[in-house]
Amino acid sequence: MKQNRRLFQEQNFLWSRFLDWNPQLFREVKGKLKTRNVVIAAAMAVVIQFVAVIALLGELPKPDPEGILKSQVSPYCLGNGYGDNLACTKDMLGNWVINWQLLWLDLFMILSIISIFALLVIGSYMLIADTVKEESQGTLNFIRLSPQSAGSILLGKVLGVPILLYCGVLLFLPLNLISGLAAKIPLTLILGFYSVIVASCAFFYSLALLLSLVNLGFPGLKPWLGSGLLGVFLFTLTRVLFDNYVSLDNPAGWLFLFNPSLVLSYLSDATYLPSSKIDFLTADKLAELSFLGQTFWANATIGIGLIFGHFCLWTYWCWSIAKRRFLNPEKTLISKTQSYWLTGWFVAIALGFTLQTTRQSTLEDYFIFLQFCLGIWGLGLIAVLSPHRQALHDWARYRHQVSSQGNLLWKELIFGENSPSTIAVAINLIIAIAYIAPSILIHFNQNRYFVLWGFILSAGSTILLAVVAQLILTSKTPKRAAVSIITVTSMLIVPPLCLGFAEMSPQATPFVWLFSFLPAAVAEHATISNLILAVLGQWLAISLIGFQMTRRLKQAGASETKILINRNAVLSD
Amino acid sequence: MHQEFAIATYGLTKRFEGYIAVNDLDLQVKAGEVYGLIGPNGAGKTTLIRMLAAAEEPTKGEIYLHGDRLLRDDSNSILKQRIGYLPDDFPLYDDLTVYDYLDYFARLYLLKQPSRRRRLQEVLELVQLENKSKSIISTLSRGMKQRLSLARTIIHEPILLLLDEPVSGLDPLARQQFRQIIKVLQEAGMTILISSHVLSDLAELCTSIGIMELGFLVESASLSELYKKLSRQQITLGTLGKMEILQQQLSQNSLVETWEIIPQSNRLKVNFTGGEADCAALLRSLIIADIPLTEFHCSQEDLESIFLKLGHQQTS
Repeated sequence: MKQNRRLFQEQNFLWSRFLDWNPQLFREVKGKLKTRNVVIAAAMAVVIQFVAVIALLGELPKPDPEGILKSQVSPYCLGNGYGDNLACTKDMLGNWVINWQLLWLDLFMILSIISIFALLVIGSYMLIADTVKEESQGTLNFIRLSPQSAGSILLGKVLGVPILLYCGVLLFLPLNLISGLAAKIPLTLILGFYSVIVASCAFFYSLALLLSLVNLGFPGLKPWLGSGLLGVFLFTLTRVLFDNYVSLDNPAGWLFLFNPSLVLSYLSDATYLPSSKIDFLTADKLAELSFLGQTFWANATIGIGLIFGHFCLWTYWCWSIAKRRFLNPEKTLISKTQSYWLTGWFVAIALGFTLQTTRQSTLEDYFIFLQFCLGIWGLGLIAVLSPHRQALHDWARYRHQVSSQGNLLWKELIFGENSPSTIAVAINLIIAIAYIAPSILIHFNQNRYFVLWGFILSAGSTILLAVVAQLILTSKTPKRAAVSIITVTSMLIVPPLCLGFAEMSPQATPFVWLFSFLPAAVAEHATISNLILAVLGQWLAISLIGFQMTRRLKQAGASETKILINRNAVLSD
Repeated sequence: MHQEFAIATYGLTKRFEGYIAVNDLDLQVKAGEVYGLIGPNGAGKTTLIRMLAAAEEPTKGEIYLHGDRLLRDDSNSILKQRIGYLPDDFPLYDDLTVYDYLDYFARLYLLKQPSRRRRLQEVLELVQLENKSKSIISTLSRGMKQRLSLARTIIHEPILLLLDEPVSGLDPLARQQFRQIIKVLQEAGMTILISSHVLSDLAELCTSIGIMELGFLVESASLSELYKKLSRQQITLGTLGKMEILQQQLSQNSLVETWEIIPQSNRLKVNFTGGEADCAALLRSLIIADIPLTEFHCSQEDLESIFLKLGHQQTS
C-alpha cells in the first residue's frame, strides 16, 4: 500500500515536472484531458482495433472440423499450386493452412494507415479549429504578450491540442507493434516508420498552425478546408500506393514523399512475402523514383532517411514561418530573405525530381511541368510577399525615419519588411532560372534555347502578374485582396480560353500564345524575333505598371502638409 | 535620459486606413504614478495603450519602459514580464477553473514553485475570488470575470499596469471593489496607466492626467497642477436676506468673476479666482456687511467639468 502510494507520488511528481516544462501544454492538458474524454477516446481506439481484427478474421476460411466443405478461397490461403493463389488447402490434420504472416502484415498495414489518417487529418483539424477559435476570441493576444517564445507556445499547442488523439493512437501501438513483429518486419524498420510518422505529424501540424494564423477571411471554414484538403491529398496518394502499377519515375513522384505511408513499401518488402499477395507499392517500384538521376530510394535505410529528412526540411520552414506569423500577424507571411532561401530549396528539389530520365521528349515535358510549378510558386510568392495597402503607405511615408536597412532603397526593396514585393519576386525567379539554366543547357541537345526562352518568358509573365497584384493592393478599392486575386486569376485563365475559342492553335499563332501563363509549351513553335518581341512587350508592360505604382507610392509617401499644399494649389488654380 | 520614466514615448505614431489614430505622441509617466488617460471615443487611447503593451506595432516612434526599448518581437522577454495589460474586452477560457486559469498565466510568466502557489493565493485574496477558485470560469458573473482578468494581469507582479476601460459595464459596487484593488496596487508601488470614461473614479485614483484628442496628447499634467490651471474655485452662498444686497456686496470683490442664482432657492454659486485666504476674507467682508448667511461652501470644479469645459468632444 505504502509502496503504491510512493509510486503514485513519484508519477505525480514526474507528470507535474512534465507540465511545468511547457505552460501551453499545461493549459491544453487541463482543458482537454478530462476522464470522460479519455474514456471516450480509449473506447473508440479499442472498438476500431476490434473491428479491424474481426474484419480480417472474417476473410479466413470457415472452420471445417467435419471436413464437409471441399473448396474455399481466402486471401490468406497458400494456394493450390496450380495457379489459384486464393485456394485453401488443408494439412494432414485437416486444418486449413493459413498464411498467418500475411494476415499480421495486413493488420499492421490497416492499423498504420488508420493511425496516419487519424493523426494527420483529425490532428490538423483540431489544431486549426483551436487556434482559429483562440484568435477570433482574442485570447491568443494575451499569450503573445507573455515572455514565452513563439516556439514554446506553438510546441505546447502541437503537443497538447490533439492530446486525446495521441492517447487513442497510443492504444493502437501495442497491437500495431505486435502485428508488425509477427509479420516478420525488422524492429529497426518499424521504428524508422514510426519516426517518419512523427516527422510527418511535425510537418503537417506546422502547416496547420500556419494556415490557422493566416487571415483568409473565413475563419469558420478554415478547419474544414485545411483538414479536408489534407484528407483528399492523403487519400488520393494512399489509394495510388495500393495500385502496384503506379509509376513514380516522374516529377509528381515528389508528392509521394509527403505521404508517410510510402515507407510501408519497405516494411512489406522486408517480410519477403510474394509481391502478388501484397496489394501495395513494391519496393522495386519505389526504387524507380530518382533524384538527379540517382535511385536513392532503392535502399530502405537511405530511402527512409531521405523521407524523414525531407519532412524535417519543410517542417523547419513551416515552423519558422508560423513563429514569425504568430509573433506579428500584421507582417507579410514570409520575409524577403526567407523567400530566397525557400525558392532555393524548392527549385533544387523540384529540379532533382525533374531530371528522372535522359529521353529528350519526356524530359521536355517534365521541364514544361517544372515551368508550370515555378509559375505557381511565383504566384504564391506574390501572395505571401505583398504587403497590404496600409503597410505599403507607411513604408512610403516613414521609410526614411524607420528604415532598418540604412535608408538605401535597393536594400529596402530586396530585404526590407513592407516594401513592395515586385523586386523580391523578380530576384526569386532569377535565382530559380539561374539554377535551372545549366541543367537545360547540359541535358538538351536541340531544343535547349527554346526551353530556356520558355522559362524567361514565364518568369516575365509572373513578374507582370506580381506588379499588377501589387498595384491593385495599393489602390483604394475596398476589396483589394479579392480584386487582386480575381484579376490575377483572370489574367491566367482568360487569354488561353479566348485563344481556344478563337481556334488559334499554338502551332499556327505561337506569338499570341507567348503571352499566356505557360509560354514554354509554345516556345518551340515561335521564331527568335517572336520571342524577343514577346519579352520586350512583357517588360514594357511591367515598366508602365511599375511606373504607375511608383507614382502612387510617392503620393502616399508625401507628408500631410505637402498633400495639403498640393490640394490648396489645385484649388487656387 | 529615459531611465527616470516608467513610460517614455517619442514621436509615437499609428496610422490606420484613412486616419491617424495616434499622432507623434510624446508621453512621459514617472515611476509609481497612477496616470489617467481621458478623451472622447476615437481619440486614440486604446491604440496608445495597445502599443505600450506591445499588442500593436507603432507605425513610427519609440517606446521606452524604465529606460529599455520596447520592441514587438521575441527578444524582450524580461520587458514583457514587467507589463500587465488589461484590455477593455477580457476574453477568458471558459473550460478552465479560476485557479487553473491563473496557474496557466503564472506559468506563462515563468513563476516557479513554491512562489507560484503563494502568489496565486495572494492574488485570489486580493480580487476576492478565493471561494471561487475551483469554479469553472463560464459560471462567473461579469464583475467576477473582470476581477479575474485583473488578477491575470497582475499575477506576475508587473511594475507597469496598463488598464483600458477597466470598470466599463460594472455596477457601482463592483466598481468600488475595483477601485480598492487599484489603490492597493498603487500602494505596492506599481505604475498604473488607466483609461476610463468614469472621470470621478480617475479623480479619486490618479496622480496625473493626460487628455487625448484626435490622436494628440493635448494635456498632460499632475492632477493638482491640472486643478490649479484649469479648475475654478466655486463658492455656494445662501442668505436669509435679499439676494440683491448679497449680489451688490459680491460685485465689490475683485476676485469674484461671475455668479449664477440657483433657481427656487435663496442661494447662488460664485466663480471665485482667489485662494483659501481670499475665501476667508470674502466671508469676513460679508459678515461685516451684516448679510444673514446660511451657507458658505467652497468647492472646486471636478474633472468632468474641466474636461467638458475644454470642449474635447470631437472624435477623429
